[in-house]
Amino acid sequence: MIVETVGFAVVAVVLLASSLAVVLTKNLFHAVLYLAAALVSTAGIFLLLASPFLFAVQLLLYAGGVVTIVVFAIMLTERLVGERIAQTSRDIVNGAIVAAAVLVAVIGFLVQAPAMTPPATAVAEQTVAIGKALVGPFAVPLELLGLLLVAALLGAVYFARAED
Amino acid sequence: MGLHAYLTLSALVFAIGLFGVLTRRNAIGILLGIELMLNAVNINLVAFSRFTGDLGGLVFSLFTISITVAEVALGLAIVIVIFRVRKTVEADRLDLLRG
Amino acid sequence: MRILVWLPLLVLGLPFASFLLLAVVPPLRRTGRGAGVISILAIAGAFLGALGVWTQGFRTESRWEWIPADGGPMATVGILVDPLSAAMLALITLVSLLVQVYSLDYLHDEPARGLGRYYAYHSLFAFSMLGLVLSPTFLQMFIFWELVGLCSYLLIGYWYDRPAAARAAVKAFWVTKLGDVGFVVGIVMLWGTTGTFDFTTLFAMARENQIPAEGLTLTLFLIYLGAVGKSAQFPLHVWLPDAMEGPTPVSALIHAATMVTAGVFLVTRAQPLFLLAPDVMGIIAAVGAFTALLAASMACVETDIKRVLAYSTVSQLGYMMTAAGLAAAAAGFFHLLTHGVFKALLFLGAGAVIHAVGTNDMFRMGGLGRAMPQTAIVFIVGTLALAGVPPLAGFFSKEAILAGVWQHGATTLFVILALTAFLTAFYMFRAVFLVFFGRAHAAGHPHDAPWLMRGPLWILAILTVAIGLRYAIGGHGDDAHPAPGWLAPFSVVLALSGIALAWAMYQRGAIEPAALSRALRPIDFMARRRYGLDALYGGLYQAFILGFSGLIGWIDRYFVDGILNVLSAWTLRGGDGLRRIQTGRAQDYLYGVAFGVLLVVVWFHWWAQ
Repeated sequence: MIVETVGFAVVAVVLLASSLAVVLTKNLFHAVLYLAAALVSTAGIFLLLASPFLFAVQLLLYAGGVVTIVVFAIMLTERLVGERIAQTSRDIVNGAIVAAAVLVAVIGFLVQAPAMTPPATAVAEQTVAIGKALVGPFAVPLELLGLLLVAALLGAVYFARAED
Repeated sequence: MGLHAYLTLSALVFAIGLFGVLTRRNAIGILLGIELMLNAVNINLVAFSRFTGDLGGLVFSLFTISITVAEVALGLAIVIVIFRVRKTVEADRLDLLRG
Repeated sequence: MRILVWLPLLVLGLPFASFLLLAVVPPLRRTGRGAGVISILAIAGAFLGALGVWTQGFRTESRWEWIPADGGPMATVGILVDPLSAAMLALITLVSLLVQVYSLDYLHDEPARGLGRYYAYHSLFAFSMLGLVLSPTFLQMFIFWELVGLCSYLLIGYWYDRPAAARAAVKAFWVTKLGDVGFVVGIVMLWGTTGTFDFTTLFAMARENQIPAEGLTLTLFLIYLGAVGKSAQFPLHVWLPDAMEGPTPVSALIHAATMVTAGVFLVTRAQPLFLLAPDVMGIIAAVGAFTALLAASMACVETDIKRVLAYSTVSQLGYMMTAAGLAAAAAGFFHLLTHGVFKALLFLGAGAVIHAVGTNDMFRMGGLGRAMPQTAIVFIVGTLALAGVPPLAGFFSKEAILAGVWQHGATTLFVILALTAFLTAFYMFRAVFLVFFGRAHAAGHPHDAPWLMRGPLWILAILTVAIGLRYAIGGHGDDAHPAPGWLAPFSVVLALSGIALAWAMYQRGAIEPAALSRALRPIDFMARRRYGLDALYGGLYQAFILGFSGLIGWIDRYFVDGILNVLSAWTLRGGDGLRRIQTGRAQDYLYGVAFGVLLVVVWFHWWAQ
């Protein structure tokens, strides 16, 4: 129990810190690296929530895939523009106020909600259960997701094609 | 650790992401903010799944992650196209829709 | 017995069928002369039917429900054949037939398209006029009354690209419409007090004194106003001379023989009702006599041959109205029939002359008697008839009217009409001497018209003589008003003295016209200016109609448009203000999304629970 608390505290601090760094740092490339850190710590959260399968997916897809794509994009645009892209912000005060307001609103809900304790045991054979769910009750959304990915793939190819 | 701790953490990350989306000038920076917000949503989904014992949350977050990947790929492709056409990725200057 | 109904219906239906055919089959209409042949065949059939109706002398009524209502139909349509309408049927179809045949040659230079239109209008007119005289109810009569007005408008404006013709058409339409307003108000008022439009019912009620006397004078006066407009009585006579802008055959048919007599026909038809209102009868007679004299005086100074005939028509209509107003409607109607024949003859003759010399101005004609002997003969026959020289048709009908007036004891009116008879003979022979005698002015080689035009002229001339001889031998048909013995010689002397004066002035040259003008300077001055009536109406028209429309226009421009302009300006400004919200930057829109989320949250927080 104490291990879980300490682990949560550590992971939470890392997550918040790297998230702040993502939105505040000037160097775009550094921001992407901080995002990778944030994603990895999120994966840690998943582990704490007893979801090893999602932990793996998060690491593979997010930390592996997304971060790689973003890095590619940054390098591509910097190569095109021929200079390092500075990452500036604007209307920081307004953004902070709005974001804080949303935060307060959500927290407001949370304090009213009743506390919940986790069930004694986590779902056994979680990966098997997810797999069965995907081909069982969630089969149609899964197919639609496939369709979406194909469309996104085609779209990305279309946008990124060489100009003729 | 109660559910509230996870939800609070997720709300914080969401607010930070929203802040980034609202303030970043660079289009790629905005995309990074969106990633953070989606991440916060995933934390919520997984936490609820854990605390209610419902598998649906996990499957949902799985879908979210996949869709996010597609969205990032497309979003970046659009950014690159915009960059080619307008020679900038600053969202301030992309105001063709101004009334 | 079925034929009693179907024969008049056939007479009515043939021109309508012809009109429908020409109206809805454009290729047929565009053949021009082909369209004319169809129209002529239809009206010829109608003429034969009308002859049948007239000679059989039967009397029939048929009605069909038109506006059903609780407690009997509110309005009926039908046909009413009696000697009055039968005689009108014969006159209308005869003159229509002759005029349409005449027009084939008269308008043979017209483009085929226009000629087809002309004949379509003619067929419609024949149908409308026949429907008018066959009407058994005021309501149906009013409908056909307006239809003939429409045809008159269309045919006066046949050459609608000439500004004068277009203006004349509009003027005729407006002026007659002024009277028609009175007519429709009158028949509705009559319906209000008696509950019926039907002539037979109304006459029966009149016989039994069941019509409430209160307001009857006003009602009948209003109905009479319709006749004033249609029959060109003072003060609404101003449209008829202008109507001469139409083709001459149209003037002969509509503005001499048929449509303008509709007013006389109305007063004659509704005579049993008018007898109930002696005041209105007095007005009718007085206005008729005044119109007769006024128009005759204007005819004396007119130089346009068609206008002379137009004023003469107005004058003769005044005669008929006087007779109708003095309860001698039979004499008036008799004059209507004979006048229809010989005035159509005169107009068609004038048309032949105009056709030959290409001008309307009598002072630029002259000596045409040698060049166009046949035209000259028939024209002189018509002129003698109009002047009232025995034994031609006009003499007997005019004498019948004068006898009726004398019998009634209206000495003043008698004197006026006698003076008018003298003037009539004078101005008609003035025209004859100017056109057919004297020195030739006309350029080119005028000659008699082709046989299609000559034929109708001869038929009408023979009819004029034949009707006259029939009465000269058979005596008067009208025994109600036996003429005093001195009347016939008196009228002959009037006519001959008028002719003699014209001969002395325009043929012999014994009296200088200018000298006479000087001697009668005030009358001459006024007559040449048409007694200022046209100017007066023009001024009133401008003052009232144009002033009123100017006011409406001002309100429309500054008030109505002003409201709209203010509204549109506000909209524009508001849109311009709202436009600034759209910055085009995605992040600014995101603030909107965030605020929306906050709004939903707040709503859930405080209200939803």
